[in-house]
Amino acid sequence: MSLVSFTKIRGNTINSVKQAIIESLDLIDYPFKKEIKNVVIKPNLCYYWDYSTGQTTDPKFVAALIALIREKTSAEDISIIESDASAMQCKHVFKMLGYEKLAHHYNVNLINISQDKSDTVEVKVGSQNFHLMVPRTIRNADLKINVPKIKYTIEGIKITCALKNIFGCNPYRWKFRFHPKLGETIVALNKAMRFDLCIVDGNICSGVAPRRLGLAMASKDPVAIDTAAAKIAGVNPRTIKYLQLAKKEGLGNTVFIQKGASLQYFKDRYPRKSVMEKLMGKAYSVVTDFGLNKRLGLE
Amino acid sequence: MKSVNLGIIGLGYVGKIHLRHSKKLGNANLVAVADISKKARKIAKDADVKKTFANYEHLLKDDDIDAVIIALPTHLHLQCATQVAEAKKHIFLEKPIARNVTEAQEIISAAQKNSVKLMIGYPLRFNTEFRNVKEKIKNGTLGEVEIANATYISSGPFFHRTESHTPTSVPEWWFKKELTGGGALIDIGSHMINLLRWYFGDIKSIKSLLGYRLNMDIEDSAICLARFESGTTAVINVGWFSQKLFLEVSLLGSVNHVTATRASQSRLLTAVQMLTTGTSRFSQSHFAELQYFVNCLINDSTPSPSGEDGLKDLKAISMAYKNQIQLA
Repeated sequence: MSLVSFTKIRGNTINSVKQAIIESLDLIDYPFKKEIKNVVIKPNLCYYWDYSTGQTTDPKFVAALIALIREKTSAEDISIIESDASAMQCKHVFKMLGYEKLAHHYNVNLINISQDKSDTVEVKVGSQNFHLMVPRTIRNADLKINVPKIKYTIEGIKITCALKNIFGCNPYRWKFRFHPKLGETIVALNKAMRFDLCIVDGNICSGVAPRRLGLAMASKDPVAIDTAAAKIAGVNPRTIKYLQLAKKEGLGNTVFIQKGASLQYFKDRYPRKSVMEKLMGKAYSVVTDFGLNKRLGLE
Repeated sequence: MKSVNLGIIGLGYVGKIHLRHSKKLGNANLVAVADISKKARKIAKDADVKKTFANYEHLLKDDDIDAVIIALPTHLHLQCATQVAEAKKHIFLEKPIARNVTEAQEIISAAQKNSVKLMIGYPLRFNTEFRNVKEKIKNGTLGEVEIANATYISSGPFFHRTESHTPTSVPEWWFKKELTGGGALIDIGSHMINLLRWYFGDIKSIKSLLGYRLNMDIEDSAICLARFESGTTAVINVGWFSQKLFLEVSLLGSVNHVTATRASQSRLLTAVQMLTTGTSRFSQSHFAELQYFVNCLINDSTPSPSGEDGLKDLKAISMAYKNQIQLA
């Protein structure tokens, strides 16, 4: 059974974050291999909103992780990766969210994988075949770390965490074109690019409004960590179709062993959706599906 | 003129608001829209606009059109407004009038030379709350206003419809200082400076402290300290750094004080207002300013805020950029 650790971040400094990451990795018995040379870190940089909104990974969290990797491994090449998206470009987001400064300070690479060389792979999810591009930077890394956030997202997907963060490893910019089959695409991308480790930056969580949750959560299993994230956010994991599909496709388990602090502690503090907000979300989804959102001034 | 035939050039965020409102104006018909985007032209066609053009020069050749709403990126204002004036069509131009004072002067000259009316789009002047404040100043109920605080905080161009199926990209020109003329100060600071100038007259001196939280080449926040000819001192806070809109003006007078706010409203309320009235209260001021512009054309009166108003705002902004305060 997979292990998922829950650790409290005590303080807001790089050192306190680093300490929490160390604890969370110890709890899941994760050993960094000394011989690691090439490391890829995938934060969630979905838009031009900084970490204080809870929408994007805090550069301090990534800085703490880099410091730890440098201590534990002989990594020569550490790359922070992101791809251009329909509404966002890496050249701006790296600068605006403080990743350029971070890269300069810690001497790591910032890679826009939309400009990276890629190889096309064929992945089967259920009865569907996906032809996906795998960026070389990811393919060549010998340690791939996923550093997602816990967020609510569009109605059909419900939760963004580890699995959904890999959607950003698709180098194709106009990602909204995958939205009609978003769940299946997320699973396919995770099958095409398996990450070794997930460490959730839950220091500030967005929920319905940002809140300092002080959570570091780690697991080698993206399905297990997403199941835990769903529970924290008050969403029944069984209602998340892509999570169940990911389990079916062998990406991980929805049953896991909790280590460290209690999940309930963070669930009690997560800014969850009220019943009214859930209903409004469903209503908005219906309105959007019928194309009435523009007419009603909701775009 | 009994009725005004309108054209819209540019169907971005504000252009779409004008499209919606133009269909509901009294004594006006929206007859054409020009936009380089095929998607935007389809939106216009879906809204029953008969003529759509990819090139706005074709719209200007249309003799049916009396006036044009220009809702283009700031760096295109000068060229477009000049061509509209030369085509002898009246101009409603979105704020800021231009990137800099020189361009603004050229736009005003072109309008004067061709005897067309020029109005700058500052919807706050048509907002009921802010108009009530103007009345209070005029009636003397506040006494003499010693201090004014004006704040406009938003996400600027960086707003993302998180629940929309088609995320909206931030147009590239927003990231380039040479195309915008500046950041939050010229973008939303122009609203506050225009409003305060309407209240208190011209600005005598102004200083600014600029912020760069988002590490861009252009400022994402500005705090300005302005002294008006009337003697009022104002603190103007503007920023692109917040997801939540906050727009408020507080006036502290020798007799009384007043605060006017324009807050964001819930989606539910917006939907209800759109269903019942065809427009939301939030964008009511956009409708009012267009109706006023149309009325000015019909009555042959000079619209306000005029091109000169836009120029004075830009002169104040230019002075603020020049007189920067540095803090450790």
